[in-house]
Amino acid sequence: MIFSEIYGKYYQAVAEMLRLASENRLTEKKLYEISGKAFSESVLSIPAAIQQKKWPLLGPGLSSILRNKPFMPLSLLEKRWLKSLIADKRIRLFMPEDKKFFSKISKELEGIEPLFAPDDFVYFDRYSDGDDYSDENYARNFRLVLAAIRERRKIEISFTGARGKTHNWTIIPLKMEYSPKDDKFRIAADSVREQIYINMGRISSVSLLDRYPQADIHVPLPGKEKLVLELVDERKSLERAMLLFSYLKKETRKAADGKYIINLFYDNDDAAEILIRILSFGPMLKVLSPASFKGLLLARIKKQRQLIAKGEVF
Amino acid sequence: MAYSELIKNFDKIRGYMRQFFVFGFKGRSDFRSKSQRSYDNERRRLESWLKDYMAFYQDASGKKAFISAASREIPHNPFYEAFKAKSFTAGDITFHFIILDMLSGGNKMTVNEIISVFYDEYFSHADIKSLPDESTIRKKLREYVKLGLLLQNRRGREAEYSISPDIICLEQWRNAIEFYSETAPLGVIGSYLCDRFAACGINVSGAFRFKHHYFLHALDMQVMHDILSAMRDKKATEIFFVNSHGNMKRHVVLPVKIYISSQTGRQYLLAWHYVMGKPHFYRIDYIRNVKAGNKEKKYEKYLAWHENFSKALWGVSFYDDCHTEHIEMTVKAGQGEEYIIQRLEREKRNGKVEKIAEGEYKYSADVYDSLEMLPWIRTFIGRIISLKCSNAMLKQRFNDDIRLVAGFYPELDAEEKETAEPENAAKNPERQQDK
Repeated sequence: MIFSEIYGKYYQAVAEMLRLASENRLTEKKLYEISGKAFSESVLSIPAAIQQKKWPLLGPGLSSILRNKPFMPLSLLEKRWLKSLIADKRIRLFMPEDKKFFSKISKELEGIEPLFAPDDFVYFDRYSDGDDYSDENYARNFRLVLAAIRERRKIEISFTGARGKTHNWTIIPLKMEYSPKDDKFRIAADSVREQIYINMGRISSVSLLDRYPQADIHVPLPGKEKLVLELVDERKSLERAMLLFSYLKKETRKAADGKYIINLFYDNDDAAEILIRILSFGPMLKVLSPASFKGLLLARIKKQRQLIAKGEVF
Repeated sequence: MAYSELIKNFDKIRGYMRQFFVFGFKGRSDFRSKSQRSYDNERRRLESWLKDYMAFYQDASGKKAFISAASREIPHNPFYEAFKAKSFTAGDITFHFIILDMLSGGNKMTVNEIISVFYDEYFSHADIKSLPDESTIRKKLREYVKLGLLLQNRRGREAEYSISPDIICLEQWRNAIEFYSETAPLGVIGSYLCDRFAACGINVSGAFRFKHHYFLHALDMQVMHDILSAMRDKKATEIFFVNSHGNMKRHVVLPVKIYISSQTGRQYLLAWHYVMGKPHFYRIDYIRNVKAGNKEKKYEKYLAWHENFSKALWGVSFYDDCHTEHIEMTVKAGQGEEYIIQRLEREKRNGKVEKIAEGEYKYSADVYDSLEMLPWIRTFIGRIISLKCSNAMLKQRFNDDIRLVAGFYPELDAEEKETAEPENAAKNPERQQDK
């Protein structure tokens, strides 16, 4: 059963309290602080249940009645999930290069049935030119970039640009970004020039450099654009659009005549992709603003009308 | 019953979260099928769990609460919080911490020893009403064995319990857990593991960021787990789902594959319907319950059938007789527009792409339902120079769409009129040249 109290926030909070209590460090203030880390209203229930001995786990002076620090072994569900990951094509990116290591973790999970296998799933609209995870060089570079992110190190990378030119740059890698649609990783990085994204698949070599100072480096996120759309709810388009755009920040309001106004906030480096997605809705979505985005859409419609008007095959 | 931010049943909140997140424009009065008190409680719970992602606006029909979150900006799926809000009794939580403490350090104890130590050593001087009784302790022991937290062996005629051995070093899984908790099926389990790191003060939200990430899949993870379980065991399964008319239905099927769309946020179960004797796709977010039944002895036969069946699927639609339709789409891609050819190659799911003239590329395929391709075809608007299909409705629909879309924007006609006039004066030389 996935939905179980043993993984719940309340059990976690109580475990933390008992841990502190076992070191005689639990105070009433801490009791409330820890409760606040569960959910926003947990302070109304957890401290009272503990202090009034509804959950009789603390003794006099907020001491623990346990003999040891609280712990919970891995559940079967957790082990089965870990076992399932071993069959994933990307797993080696997250493990040391040493092949013995892989057999070590496999042995640790010996006899455990996986919850699922990769071929239980069909990702039917995933792009087919995803990264080649079987490439040793790719995996090595990936591990180095990940280590650099964790250790706050600069790296020197050699990569092929979009026009085929080779570049050697020193960058500060900040995040490894993954898209399940593209099945690609790219590095979100700070460089001397600007905040950049570099596809892992284009990188041929990575060298770790010095650690950078603990200065507050801004993690780059592209600027946001607001798109205002009008949706006509036909052929289940409302549900389709709401679901499709649910990975973006949005606000939807019901207008008159079965129409809806959607304010969609997208990253400005994704304009082309958003345009394509809006085109896919055909006559169900109308762009109200901004004019610049509307212009892009109109240009495409205009071109298509011209092609149809030529009457070659339409 | 007094309000609690914890819940006993996940199904109810699953529906509310979906409404608040996917649609987000429904107010209290739109949830007429539920009691107003129920709406208020569920909204309060969501605010308690997802305080950072809840937003509100007011319009003429009242206050609207919605969940708004951009996946790229959030390291962990916020909907996992709902899985961590399961209610429990005072006896449950007391048993949990005491039993794991009692058996730590390799202790092995029988039920009677456990019961004796529980009452006589841990709570000997306490006058506590909420302690679990003996039968609850026995029941909980069996439950913890099932969860894999405890091991049960025999000591003579009695059952003996110990902590389940655990030789896994989680630290070595840190990167994998952080990544897969957001990308793998049943990722909420990874989130439970992330919590274990967090409890030790290890940050597990530092390295990754996710784009095109559908948080909503979290809500279907219990159903997905039950389906996958039936698939692992090769079992026929009863599924209870809401159909397109909003009615609850029960089908007895053999689950074969899970189909996941990484572009639309939808997940489907492809199953063999025994009574109808044909395959059927079910939206997983519409499935309410799954009950595994008997083992299917010929499971491999169905997997082999799928291998062949899937070749002409574009998405999840097909006709009963599985006939295919032939489609050809030719697009133009001039110099410097090689990305269009790349798009065709990487986005096609079957069929082939060929160059037919300088700057002209033809995609052709045989698919079960060509109309299902229409949204994809529309993404090439502005470049399509030819569209042919054995299903005439496809082209008709495409042309109608262009006409309707153009009708949205009067400025388009005005603009075209302006640019067309000089051409008309010269009797449209471009078109004559083309001919």
